[in-house]
Amino acid sequence: MPMSRRALAVAVVSALVLPLSACGSSDDGGGSTDASGAIEGDITFQTWNLRANFKSYFDGLIADFEKEHPGTHVKWIDQPAEGYPDKLSADAAGGTLPDVVNVSPDLLAPLAKAGLALDLDKAAAKYRSEYLDGAWTGQRIPGMTGTYAFPWYLNTGPLFYNKDLFRKAGLDPDSPPKTYDELFTDALQLAKKSDGEVATLANVPTIEDFGRYGVELMNKQGTGFAFNEARGVELLTRYKELYDAKALDPQALTATPESSGKKFLTGAVAMNPGSALDLENFKKQAPGLYKNIGITDQITSTGHVNMYVMGVMVNSRTKHTPAAVAFAHYVTDAQNQMSFAKKVAIFPSTAGSLDDPYFTKEDGTDETRVRIAAAKSLKNAVNYTPVLFSDQMKTALRNEVAKALQGRQSPRAALDNAVKACDRLLTQQG
Amino acid sequence: MALSPVSRVRRQLPVSPWLFAAPGLLVVGAFVLYPFVSTVVNSFTDRRTLIPGRFVGLANFRELLHDEMFWIALRNSVLYVLGVVPALVVLPLLLALLVQKNIPGIAFFRSAFYTPVVASIVVVGLIWVWLLDERGLVNSLLETVGVGRVGFLSDQWLLLLSAMAVTVWKGLGYYMIIYLAALASVPRELHEAAAVDGAGAVRRFLTVTVPAVRSTMVLVAALASVAAFKVFSEVYLLAGPTGGPAGEDTTLVMLVQRTGTGLTGRVGYASALSLVVFVVTVALMLLVLRADRREDA
Repeated sequence: MPMSRRALAVAVVSALVLPLSACGSSDDGGGSTDASGAIEGDITFQTWNLRANFKSYFDGLIADFEKEHPGTHVKWIDQPAEGYPDKLSADAAGGTLPDVVNVSPDLLAPLAKAGLALDLDKAAAKYRSEYLDGAWTGQRIPGMTGTYAFPWYLNTGPLFYNKDLFRKAGLDPDSPPKTYDELFTDALQLAKKSDGEVATLANVPTIEDFGRYGVELMNKQGTGFAFNEARGVELLTRYKELYDAKALDPQALTATPESSGKKFLTGAVAMNPGSALDLENFKKQAPGLYKNIGITDQITSTGHVNMYVMGVMVNSRTKHTPAAVAFAHYVTDAQNQMSFAKKVAIFPSTAGSLDDPYFTKEDGTDETRVRIAAAKSLKNAVNYTPVLFSDQMKTALRNEVAKALQGRQSPRAALDNAVKACDRLLTQQG
Repeated sequence: MALSPVSRVRRQLPVSPWLFAAPGLLVVGAFVLYPFVSTVVNSFTDRRTLIPGRFVGLANFRELLHDEMFWIALRNSVLYVLGVVPALVVLPLLLALLVQKNIPGIAFFRSAFYTPVVASIVVVGLIWVWLLDERGLVNSLLETVGVGRVGFLSDQWLLLLSAMAVTVWKGLGYYMIIYLAALASVPRELHEAAAVDGAGAVRRFLTVTVPAVRSTMVLVAALASVAAFKVFSEVYLLAGPTGGPAGEDTTLVMLVQRTGTGLTGRVGYASALSLVVFVVTVALMLLVLRADRREDA
């Protein structure tokens, strides 16, 4: 059947445009801050690279929740570690963000600012007392009122060191450095004795290092960065000394945690941060290193180690707010956090859990020693990464630090530039 | 006034061809036209990943003129084209000449040269990182012969050169296949006549082979230029997510990726960068085609 040219044009344009109009329509009109209704409905729960090792734990957790709340169905989605922020941003922009999502505070901040995270001070205030106060307030976003995720597990890593390399450099293998001053002295000695063959560190200083060195990271109002203060310049100057003496690995400027971990395994680097999970890896991949492995606390000049915090947020646009809030709370309640902690080296953020004998009683194994030491240090640990410190800011800092280490600009100029770039990005974030 | 039957036919179009074309049109519309138009629109806004943008006119383009990292990325992308394209035009042709002969076992070499083409770029990247690492195989060999270790992955320029080497190594087989097809159509009589006239192998190559495959060389140059200007994987894998020490090995596409992705990505600014990549790529194509036309004239 023939049709007019105009009608055809309209049909083609409509065919092109109509499907596209569905793209990016993130607001489906669902959502409520009222979590007091009936706990029912189908919800989705997204975790961050946990299926491979903890499938049975989460299958059991979900089955128990569904049994406790008939009429609910939880669909579990797990995303790989690599590119997790990109996956979240695609889902958030496309309106397909799951109902309950595993996030860290720096990922939570942009989601909360975009109005996609439910304010739990309004929807779930009754649960607040179950969590450590610091953990609950750790889910707040500067410049906003409210708490936007249930605190989930906390983590802090020990520092591993190669006792054999310490011994060869004439250092006491049973007395590793504890502060940055001690670290710099030992690192220079290690490099000197090994004629530059053995570096002590394989990564350039990050924002956490500046925090642990006692540098003020942001101004008091939280409106701008301040790590270019005198102490920050001092830290970078000392790192430059390490770099020049080859006490900092030459490839540190482009290193990733994976690449520096490999260097530690091969004995090219004497110290590396890690977690209790790494011990198993050392046993399998480097038995020689495992025999000589030393375990110590993170280097800090403030007396407070760095803490990594995970949270579980509820999508503010979920159509089943009561079920999503109930499930997010269920995943993070004291009992379930404790049982998760017994499967992997993480630490509960629920009040009183760290006093459990599991975190206080020695049994003579290395794993327990690491766990007890970490649990102890967590009691006064600090999450040094400012929640508004985005990936773009991390890159800006890292690039300026690299220029200072290469001697292309002074540490002062590098940090001034980094602060300027981060402040500009902060303003653009809105 | 009623239209004549002829005019009516002219003013109407049959539906069936358009129905056949509709699926293709939809796919092109959704995955080519819409993203392109969206990129152009976004480049004039301050849109972020989760925050709809406001119209900011040419602000993004003005900003990139003052962005040091943009100029570094542009420099690296241009250097990449200059470093990689001549090698990818000449070396695969020489390789094709070597493997075009029908001698026993030649299929093995053809397959061997083609293997890097089908290998995953991630695997290729990892292998080259192991080879070029400070304590990798290449540095061990250099140390054995007394040269000492070379910072292939820690020096800004060596890193870029290493990435170019990987691109050339991976692309040789692909362009070799294109040249093999072109060489197959070169009349043997021309070579025989040149040989009778006393031309040696080099002269025959320059006077017979090169003119015969010249249009293929232009095609290879155009394809390689576009691919080189848009390079991402090789540099990303060798230089790391920061783009080398202090980001000095960042290329334009890496900068687009770094700027525009993630929850705090600056989609508007990244779109402006993408438009620059698009314009330069089109310009490169036109330049190569124009050079070809001038040769023909």
